[in-house]
Amino acid sequence: MNPTTKDALWYKDAIIYQVHVRTFNDSNGDGIGDFLGLEKKLDYLQELGVNAIWLMPFFPSPLRDDGYDIADYDSVHPSYGTLEDFRKVLDSAHQRGIRVIIEMVLNHTSDQHPWFQEARISQDNHRRNWYVWSDTDTQFKDTRIIFLDTEKSNWAWDPASKSFYWHRFFSHQPDLNYDNPAVREHMWNVMKFWLEMGVDGFRLDAVPYLIEREGTNCENLPETHAIIKELRRRLDEQFPGRMLLAEANQWPADLRPYFGDSDEFHMAFHFPLMPRMFMGLKLEDRKPITEILQQTPEIPPSCQWSLFLRNHDELTLEMVTDIERDYMYDMYAQDRTMRLNLGIRRRLAPLLNNDRRRIELMNSMLMSLPGTPIIYYGDEIAMGDNISLGDRNGVRTPMQWTGGWNAGFSSAEPEKLYAPLIHDPVYGYPAVNVAAQRESEHSLFHWMQRIIAVRKSSAVFGRGSIEFLYPANHRILAYLRRLGNESVLMVNNLSSAAQAVELDLRRYKGNVLIEMFGNNLFPRVGELPYLLTLGPYQSYWFRLRRV
Amino acid sequence: MEDGNFLTDDFLRQLINVGEVDILVGLPTHNNAKTVGSVVHTIRTGILRSFPRERAVIINADGGSRDGTPELITGVSIDDVRRDSGVYALRTLHAISTKYASTPQSEVAMRTILAAAELLRAKACIVMSPESESITPEWVTNLVRPVYSDSFDLVSPTYHRHKFDGLLMTNLLYPMVRALYGVKIREAYMPEFGFSGRLGSQFLGQNRWNDGIGENGTELRLTLAAVTGGFRICQSFLGKKDPVERRAADLVPTLRHSVGVLFSALESDFNAWSTVSGSQEVPAFGADPEVALDPLRVNRKRLRDMFVRGVSELESVFQTILAASTLVELKRIAGLGEEEFRYPAELWVRTVYEFAAAFQKSVISRDHIIQALAPLFRGRVYTFVVENRNGSANDVANNIESLCLEFERLKPYLLEIWKSKQ
Repeated sequence: MNPTTKDALWYKDAIIYQVHVRTFNDSNGDGIGDFLGLEKKLDYLQELGVNAIWLMPFFPSPLRDDGYDIADYDSVHPSYGTLEDFRKVLDSAHQRGIRVIIEMVLNHTSDQHPWFQEARISQDNHRRNWYVWSDTDTQFKDTRIIFLDTEKSNWAWDPASKSFYWHRFFSHQPDLNYDNPAVREHMWNVMKFWLEMGVDGFRLDAVPYLIEREGTNCENLPETHAIIKELRRRLDEQFPGRMLLAEANQWPADLRPYFGDSDEFHMAFHFPLMPRMFMGLKLEDRKPITEILQQTPEIPPSCQWSLFLRNHDELTLEMVTDIERDYMYDMYAQDRTMRLNLGIRRRLAPLLNNDRRRIELMNSMLMSLPGTPIIYYGDEIAMGDNISLGDRNGVRTPMQWTGGWNAGFSSAEPEKLYAPLIHDPVYGYPAVNVAAQRESEHSLFHWMQRIIAVRKSSAVFGRGSIEFLYPANHRILAYLRRLGNESVLMVNNLSSAAQAVELDLRRYKGNVLIEMFGNNLFPRVGELPYLLTLGPYQSYWFRLRRV
Repeated sequence: MEDGNFLTDDFLRQLINVGEVDILVGLPTHNNAKTVGSVVHTIRTGILRSFPRERAVIINADGGSRDGTPELITGVSIDDVRRDSGVYALRTLHAISTKYASTPQSEVAMRTILAAAELLRAKACIVMSPESESITPEWVTNLVRPVYSDSFDLVSPTYHRHKFDGLLMTNLLYPMVRALYGVKIREAYMPEFGFSGRLGSQFLGQNRWNDGIGENGTELRLTLAAVTGGFRICQSFLGKKDPVERRAADLVPTLRHSVGVLFSALESDFNAWSTVSGSQEVPAFGADPEVALDPLRVNRKRLRDMFVRGVSELESVFQTILAASTLVELKRIAGLGEEEFRYPAELWVRTVYEFAAAFQKSVISRDHIIQALAPLFRGRVYTFVVENRNGSANDVANNIESLCLEFERLKPYLLEIWKSKQ
């Protein structure tokens, strides 16, 4: 039984840590991270202050897409351990007040999944209709290709059954046919299997693509929403307090329907915000950030945006204009090998030139804008990446625990590691590791601990409203978060130079500002514009208090 | 006005909010509501189209407009509150305004723009005329790019003008600047131009502001400062420029702001220009400027009448300014009939040079000297119009070139009378 699911809106206050079992800690010395290794590091996550983990796919898989090509939904990949090991992680996490969100890839399976293997045997097979087949590759021609760098078509030829099958992602990932009630029923049973075990939520992968219809772009279709609603209904009835998080890389207006009337997803990633945070930082201009948030529709009170700076994928530039994409490439990925599909395959620290001030500023915004923040593993210590590794593997290298053998990740011979460690002088594990940062009072790790603690000190960050102030200095991003009687003011300097800003706080006349990290008093708000000066990339969090 | 509080607190506050910029567009105005709206929209389009990533600001120095001019300019700002649905901008574009006085003075406007450019550390600055109805977005590009991308310090414009437009430029300023300073700058007294932050800062620091010589005409002084300071100068073709209608009464103020400024500069720049011989081309971007030939009505009779009356009425003034032989010759041609009347190039150059020398010596009030030049200039314009009435573009160009060479040929004469006056 999950002891942490008392508050149905827990996900609003969550600070989620995204981790891949394979990358985190190897307990048996085979060079691959595993569940028992992860369990040993739960104390670390508790120390950091996160209260939820999101585990990337850990199911049996040929691993041609880092586990997003599932070959068995009811088990775990043998490299990571056993189902029993997973249960141990689940229980240990819950004992520490950490919820566990797992990945669920509904849209497609691996082509090695027994369902697909059966489906391709013959056109009469009972699994045949579990996938989307066609005699030609001309159906649904208005549908975009997502992995432009590798795929030429959304159809792939199956020589075994001499027909084409539909795939929105890699050709080895055939899409399931959600028009088939048996598929829908079976996928609910898969989710139920894990919910009964105690998982707190699912991150549902690639949700806009479940249904295909001729004459459409096969994304965000009403039938897809109907399927989500049905899953949600069953979830609420049978597993109240559990959560669904949508992965739908769409514009805010297209994302809004995924919240429904509080009857679809609880949370959805805010994909367009993330690149605009990077853009705003480079432009030293708040405009990209405030504009996209102005365009973000209201969502039902029980719903929440999920915010992130970086994740296991490329920094996606699908939800930006052409001019913005060109700018982002030129600013953040001049080396073309850093570019993948429509994005940039880099970690947070290298994207920000390992500039501590910028890393802190970006995390400050992540933790204070409306939504639930997600920290990608290793970003809390400014881990680097390895762009010489193909695909997105460069941002999926082993966690750097120590400066010792294999960065403390594994006792295996280095050549047996699932991926090489980062060795370069700046980001290599001898320089960047958890042990060293734990020792240093001023390390990024400790700073992250503090900001997480401050964020957790008030529900206003997870549940409060937002109101932007628009000071004439466009380098300053300032906003008020309010919940009940509590008001906090965030002021972020996006510029590399010190800035002066005058804020119109007349409504708060008589309040004093209390800086939330040091609990220091700032002058009382009066009739005149409130003058603040901020150092380069500095941010302030103030609590407003009438005294 | 004291240097310390030259800029108002309010304007300073606006500048703090703008912060460091890459491109600054200066717009001096005074009651330009009729045209300034389309000018600033075109400027904004030019910036967004050609320099979408650069930090840019439009700065209006207004001389006390009462027709809402500043509001039209600040209205083109783009930020996260004020958006124009027809425009996409990557970043904030500030358009700010300051009123500097109740009396419009281009010097104060230019000083304001230069001071703002220095405070904002602008890399490339341009100044645009608020009444240019011919402006296109490419003008912005063509003035900014040589500074921003090619490290030039001054970008002087060239235009596709009518052959009878800009006659003060073609008959006096261009040939005289060319002959004396040795650089072939076609539009030294220009309503639109570009300059580097480096040049702007130096000029701001070294220029004798409020010295009473040229309360306007700062543009020309900036050009001459660039030439004498060894800054990199180029010309950039902007395109067609429609003639701006001027009243006859506008000529004297124009002469004060242009010829007066040039004559004044000759004094301080003597060491620079006195040793120059010949003239050099400056690098040019874009097409070669050509003149348009379409018919344009010029009241020649009035020009000649004003010349004749001027020679008669100002004879005593001319006696203090001109050599006796020059005055005799002027009186002779004033007596010619309309068909025979010509003000030949050599006589015109001698006249101008003698005026310059007289200005230097202040034989009479300098302002009276400049005013006295007006009727003579009209006589020269009459001749230019007659001589080029049926001329092709090539003929016009050749005639201007001949005049330039005459200015260069007679430069020793200027030196001679300059020194003798000393």
